[in-house]
Amino acid sequence: MTQAIKNTLPRLIPPGGPLTLAEHLARYGPVPFGDEPGRAGGPSTADLIGEVERAGLTGRGGAGFPAGRKMRAVAETGRRAGPLRSQVGTVVVANGAESEPASGKDRLLLTRAPHLVLDGVALAAEAVGATRGYLSLHAGAGELAADLAAVIAERDRLGLNRVPIQVVTVAGTYVASQETALVSQLNGGAARPSFVPPRPSQKGAHGRPTLVLNVETLAHVALIARFGADWFGELGTPSARSAGSALVTVSGAVRQPGVYEIALGTPVGDLIRRAGGPAEAPQAILAGGYFGGWLPYEPALHIPLSDPDLRAAGAALGPGVLVVLPVSACGLAETAWIAGYLASQSAGQCGPCTNGLPALADTLGQLAFARPDGGASWGDDPPGPTPGLGWAEQLMGLVRGRGACHLPDGTAGFVASGLRVFADEVRQHSVAGPCARVRRPPLLPAPGYGGRA
Amino acid sequence: MSHSLRVNPIACEAHGVCAELLPELITQDPWGYPIVAPGPVPDGLLPLARRAAAACPTLALLLTPDE
Amino acid sequence: MIGLAAFALARGMPAGAVSAASRSAGALSAGPALAITRLRGTVLSAPRPAAGVVNASTPLWYLTRATGLVALVLLTASMALGLLSSVRYQRPAWPRFVTIGLHRNASLLALAFTALHIATTLADSYAPIRLQDVVIPFISAYRPLWLGLGAIALDLMLAMTVTSLLRTRMSYRSWRVVHLSAYLCWPVAVLHGLGTGSDTQVRWVLALTAACVAVIAVLTGWRLAYGWPAHAGARLVGAFALLLALVVGGAWLSAGPLQPGWARRAGTPAYLIGGDKKAAAPAPGGTR
Repeated sequence: MTQAIKNTLPRLIPPGGPLTLAEHLARYGPVPFGDEPGRAGGPSTADLIGEVERAGLTGRGGAGFPAGRKMRAVAETGRRAGPLRSQVGTVVVANGAESEPASGKDRLLLTRAPHLVLDGVALAAEAVGATRGYLSLHAGAGELAADLAAVIAERDRLGLNRVPIQVVTVAGTYVASQETALVSQLNGGAARPSFVPPRPSQKGAHGRPTLVLNVETLAHVALIARFGADWFGELGTPSARSAGSALVTVSGAVRQPGVYEIALGTPVGDLIRRAGGPAEAPQAILAGGYFGGWLPYEPALHIPLSDPDLRAAGAALGPGVLVVLPVSACGLAETAWIAGYLASQSAGQCGPCTNGLPALADTLGQLAFARPDGGASWGDDPPGPTPGLGWAEQLMGLVRGRGACHLPDGTAGFVASGLRVFADEVRQHSVAGPCARVRRPPLLPAPGYGGRA
Repeated sequence: MSHSLRVNPIACEAHGVCAELLPELITQDPWGYPIVAPGPVPDGLLPLARRAAAACPTLALLLTPDE
Repeated sequence: MIGLAAFALARGMPAGAVSAASRSAGALSAGPALAITRLRGTVLSAPRPAAGVVNASTPLWYLTRATGLVALVLLTASMALGLLSSVRYQRPAWPRFVTIGLHRNASLLALAFTALHIATTLADSYAPIRLQDVVIPFISAYRPLWLGLGAIALDLMLAMTVTSLLRTRMSYRSWRVVHLSAYLCWPVAVLHGLGTGSDTQVRWVLALTAACVAVIAVLTGWRLAYGWPAHAGARLVGAFALLLALVVGGAWLSAGPLQPGWARRAGTPAYLIGGDKKAAAPAPGGTR
């Protein structure tokens, strides 16, 4: 095994500027390809999938699916699915098209530690029998795309990529980086999710079995390949499906907003303290981004940052997002604002989503902004007037699980948490009308969204 | 082997034929899109479920064997 | 005798009787004219048939024309039900699955009658039509253009039937592309009927055809007005095509099949038109 780096944080993004390739190789050791001679101890690439499975690495893009299982599925379909059942080249896609507006960790990782991500792409490509790779970025990534193309070219000259890797930019909408939408764009289609099956692991880019992993997940793969599953599990709580470390973007009312690497299972409060503590009196925390949920501030501080723990509390880890909401902002208005944003992000493919999300956003808007006697109308679509909360609950039930992607589910979960955590605001607004805080500009980012139509 | 009904929400255009043919398991939401009762299709309803799946104008209702 | 048999047949199957009228109109043969003129109660204007002109194949020829008309009606019903389905017609007493079920059954029946129509055509020795003429368009010696349209309609019907029977095993998109050929199949079938023209000048055949065209035109208009909000351009093109088809079709009908001498212009072999069929026809079997 490669001499393990000191097993403390940060693992992924070392302090200081980005590492050059030489510095990167000096810090982490050579890329442990399967055919590398003289390599001792480390898991061979043939075992890489098993090692990743053993490590319990989960996807860091938001869904939290076990990365090893995904890799195994692609490798096996690749072996089985070819014409005449021979091996067919698979495809690896590094998903860096971070579309969660409150997340910034993928961009930071690609800026500061591109070689770790690209090591992961090359190693995963070797493990699943890929013949080509993609690195997908947001259309708004700007110079980053060119920088990464240069880094890839540099590694190419040293034979470190193993497969041709192409930088592609994809649409900036919320669902555009969902894996089937990503594959659709790689195939020249629209930035819209598709129905599964077939999953990308069965039939993805160019019709080939395709492994789509978040860039942070791939960086962890590169570390597991070098130092092994046991090393990986020394941080985090592997027993609770939360092995290793993760990047978390902290923003909102904290003194030092930014991206922090934490051991999974770290209490929320510890991370808030690392981020300088609240910048003003806090009232709630949004955990997991817009597919996550709101948590009341004080109780949230004790919750471990792990997906199972956050889910049990009504939120999620998602792609690692924490937003601290100050008391000076109206939680109900913020929830309504983001409900509107998410409704605007529907790809317009699935009826329940196309109809249900705007209705839900509209209901939230009325709850937040309508005067009590202002003639608020609940649901101009059938089934008609079930005032306010009841209609919102109904709509959430109607959209859950009924889309091709998880936009309806995520939106419903987010709104439900808002109505739960800000129940007092809902009551006050319904009696006295919108509070003064709704006039404050929204805290939560909603790129390209201008507000309720 | 048990079978389950699933809707491909992208293909579904709310024609409503499935809800007519299989009201035992399929209802419609306020916009006419089908809501399928969760769980496996009872044996007695399998022929009807098969017929409903075949009758869907957009082939959006899928009857698939459970894994 | 045979003329009487034809008459009986005609009574049992009105369409056959009608079709017989056209032969009178086209002055192709005197035998059927007998039956027709009797049916219509008009003055016997055609000369009495010479013995041997009316022959054993005549009932088949009537059947061909009768089944063709029935097939047209069924095909129209199928097309109309398909259009009703696409505009999502639904009433409490007429649920969607009734439309869809009837559409399916009408289509299969239309195909069955088309099969009969073809079988009798082939079995009949009156017109020289071979098996390959039935499926390959425009190669027939008998009215090649108009028979060819029939072949096209048949091919499209077969394609739609096969894909619909295998529908659950193929992608919706490919099924739909094939099924959209109904908008080609139906007008082509109607043109085949009018252009082959044996019965076109018979008033009630003309009226029946006009009714079929009216039904489909109205429903197509309904469909164009109802659906595809996202495809305004396609709908406009469709509406234009519909109007154009009606105008051009009407003009062609009055200038072509409704004018005297259409049988010759439609491409009927000369020996079938010229009075002495028996002498000219290279009839096998020698019983003509």
